[in-house]
Amino acid sequence: MLFFSFFKTLTNQTVTIELKNDIRIRGTLKSVDQYLNIKLDDVDVLDLDKYPHLSSVKNMFIRGSVVRYVMLPRSEVDIGLLEDATRREAANQAGKAR
Amino acid sequence: MSFFGFNTTLPRDRAPAGEQRGIFDTPDPFAEVARARLAANFRDDKDDDVIDFEDTYDGLGDQLDDDQDAFNDDTFGGGFDTGPVGKDFDFFGKTAQVADVIGEEQIRYSLQKPGAPATAPSQPTADAALPDTADQKPKRSGYEKYNDPGYIPDLQAKSSVWGMSKKPEQQFQQQLQQLQQPTPQMVAQAKKMLSLEEVEAQLRRQGPSSLPAQIPLSLPQSMPEPTQPLQRAQMPPLPEGFPQLPPEILQAQFAKGVPPALLQHQPPMVPEPYPLPPNLPIHMLQNANLPPQHMVPPQRQAMPPAAQRPQQQQPPLPQAPRGNNVQLPVITNSQQLMHLTEEQRVAYLMEDAKRAKRNHKIFLLSRGNGLMTPQDKNFITRIQLQQLVAAAGNVADSDAEAVLAEDFYYQVYSQIRGAPRQHPHQPLGHFAQTYLLQTGNRLGGHGSRRQFQSADNHMQRMQQQVQRAVEAAKQKPKNKQLIIEGSLGKISFSNAKTPKPMLNIKRPESSEGAKTVKKPHTDLSVSDRKSVLTNLESVYSTLMDMEDMERTMPPPPDENDPEAIQKHMEWRQKIRSLNQKLWRNLKVMEPIVPNTNTPHPFIAFLAYPKGKKAIPRIFRHIDQEQRVTILTMIVVHLDSLDVVRRAQPVPGETQPSLAVREAIELFSQAVMPSLLGYVNEAPFNIIIGLLGLVIAQTHVQMISRTRIGLGILTMLLSRAEIVKEAGQATERDWQQWVEKFNVLFDTLEPTFADIFPSAINAGDDMYVWQFLAAVGIGASPEQQQRLVIAVKDRVMETVTYSKTLPADMASARLGNVNLFMRAIGLDVELLG
Repeated sequence: MLFFSFFKTLTNQTVTIELKNDIRIRGTLKSVDQYLNIKLDDVDVLDLDKYPHLSSVKNMFIRGSVVRYVMLPRSEVDIGLLEDATRREAANQAGKAR
Repeated sequence: MSFFGFNTTLPRDRAPAGEQRGIFDTPDPFAEVARARLAANFRDDKDDDVIDFEDTYDGLGDQLDDDQDAFNDDTFGGGFDTGPVGKDFDFFGKTAQVADVIGEEQIRYSLQKPGAPATAPSQPTADAALPDTADQKPKRSGYEKYNDPGYIPDLQAKSSVWGMSKKPEQQFQQQLQQLQQPTPQMVAQAKKMLSLEEVEAQLRRQGPSSLPAQIPLSLPQSMPEPTQPLQRAQMPPLPEGFPQLPPEILQAQFAKGVPPALLQHQPPMVPEPYPLPPNLPIHMLQNANLPPQHMVPPQRQAMPPAAQRPQQQQPPLPQAPRGNNVQLPVITNSQQLMHLTEEQRVAYLMEDAKRAKRNHKIFLLSRGNGLMTPQDKNFITRIQLQQLVAAAGNVADSDAEAVLAEDFYYQVYSQIRGAPRQHPHQPLGHFAQTYLLQTGNRLGGHGSRRQFQSADNHMQRMQQQVQRAVEAAKQKPKNKQLIIEGSLGKISFSNAKTPKPMLNIKRPESSEGAKTVKKPHTDLSVSDRKSVLTNLESVYSTLMDMEDMERTMPPPPDENDPEAIQKHMEWRQKIRSLNQKLWRNLKVMEPIVPNTNTPHPFIAFLAYPKGKKAIPRIFRHIDQEQRVTILTMIVVHLDSLDVVRRAQPVPGETQPSLAVREAIELFSQAVMPSLLGYVNEAPFNIIIGLLGLVIAQTHVQMISRTRIGLGILTMLLSRAEIVKEAGQATERDWQQWVEKFNVLFDTLEPTFADIFPSAINAGDDMYVWQFLAAVGIGASPEQQQRLVIAVKDRVMETVTYSKTLPADMASARLGNVNLFMRAIGLDVELLG
């Protein structure tokens, strides 16, 4: 749930998503779900020359499993908090495993 | 027996071939004519008895006995006395067996005989069977309407296929007589197949005559006279406008005519005596909105309650167009039309009855429509989910706690970012404080501040509850085996994730084996990387525990409430034990080993960025004594502190490496404010003691070359000055201080020129000027003079250098210098 929780805070921020087939898409993150499926709006495809078929795509839904990276706006990430959240998550997981 | 009253005997068994047409056989239409001609020839001398009906009637109706009509009753809606038909009668199933064939048959039939009516001819069997069903269902059927001659039912296209047409024999014969006379010339062509043109020609020839229109729909089969061509010629008007009109269209139009509101106010109906078919044909579904005007049971109609009247008057409105539509093709004699369509009417009474039942059901279900808002529904859903989760036995903790545990980052983040932030670059400590306080507030019930997020949170909580329900379901030990009572074996299930276990070995509860594998903790050093990091993490988890505890702090206890006091005491106890744990994990109290290469665990702790970051949070949870201990630890180990040790200027390098600079930056942002916060409140004797420690335990000249070292010295010196200014220092303390200060000054004097960053343009040297200012204030006039001499060059350099800089940077540099100059009673302006 940590990633879900984390990505939820990035809604309406501009992110760049790199897919496992190397396509990189920049857009406004509209929503994320628990599978980390992603809805993007106002999409810009980087390297549009290579992927002309995407030139008219304005928004898209990306299945979470095809995402390689999500590049985040650094200013929108609260690192200290994220560290704590990670610790909590780890503690939760450890608690569950026990 | 036959379900719909069709003759199920095979064609070869059928006594008069061609008389009876079921839907599955397509008789040669002309064979019948030939036969009829034979019959006519046979008795053409008997004019008074042109057709013996018995000749055309296969007597199937007589074959049917009442027992075997049981299903007919069910089919056609009558038969309240048919006990054996249970509520589970599979009406649709039976119908479906022939439904497809019906459609195909109809198409094929009309294709084969372009001129022939889609409406199948009369079927005597049905004639025999139907009258009694129609007669026997006076009360409960709701079909009385259909007996009204003014009522023209719909769905003719389908019903025509049933091949049932009912007409009084007398009228039938009358029509025959009428037919026979004007059409002698047709007889010759009887056996000949006509093309469409020929048919049309015949039609035209007969056009003006009003007679054709009066020809009954269902003549062909029963007609013994050789009038077949004529009949076919006369039929076309019917199929074109009348029966093939899709009934759905008509009904959809009716449905639109009635405001939906009426539907809702329709009074409840008597429960239908028939089981609703499990599946309904599509057109039934489409008709779901049909106003139930014609399904009002007769009893209701007989004595309508006052509220019902308005609806009772509704029916004429939709019915009028329907009547028109249906009547269009067969124009002339409405009375005759009634007779023609009556049997069809009977045939699809059941269709309407089914529809009525369905509508009734829908109506019953829809009475509560719109009572709940979506919010209400959400709320209910949440309650249900909560119960689901509770049933799964997974919520011991409160909702808020669970939310925080599952969705910590989002919750806290939205608290922080949602709130207006006064200082965008709050130090970490404030930030931590902020997020905790805010979380506590909101969870404590002051949620109104975050109104705009409430909907969001709502959905989110839903999601989380679903999540937890799913998780609980996952965790719940699945029934992997089914042991049926009384059986000897077990049935075990398997799925892809948990294949059926072939071996069932029970693990020993005490997993001793696993424990022994783990190496006993090798206590090489308390300062090795791994143990330091472990300490760090336990510090953090303790911190988080403490912060959680803080959030759940019980309200200040009321003196008269022993229970609250008790609670408070327990809470204090917990906090104290956590504090002890934190303190242990910090390793501050580890013995100081002099002259060793391994740094003290706490200093090693501070070497990691997250160790530095932890300090502000730690300081919030420890008391003054612990704080001074930490400060003392830092001061004692000042020259082994990473930000001091690694920041020593290297010859040839203008400034430390990037990593070190970052560490220094972090230290001065995270640790120094906490230390300063403490020092600013510390008693004077502690300051004196700390200064003594610096002089005695560390290489002052070395630490004075680093920013952090100078920073700590500045901190101590300025605090002493403040204490002195405030007059809080006793004479004896001050004497002690001056002694120490003199030692420090003497130690530092040779290196005053070296404490600056090596090059004048190497960057920020403000901290140096601050330190010099702090020294200058506390120094005696003689010391001040020595100080000026020592740093005179740098002052002049900076003044000269600042002249080459842009105005704002120059003034900043000069301002820094002036900080020092003013401390010793001078000003840069004097140097100008």
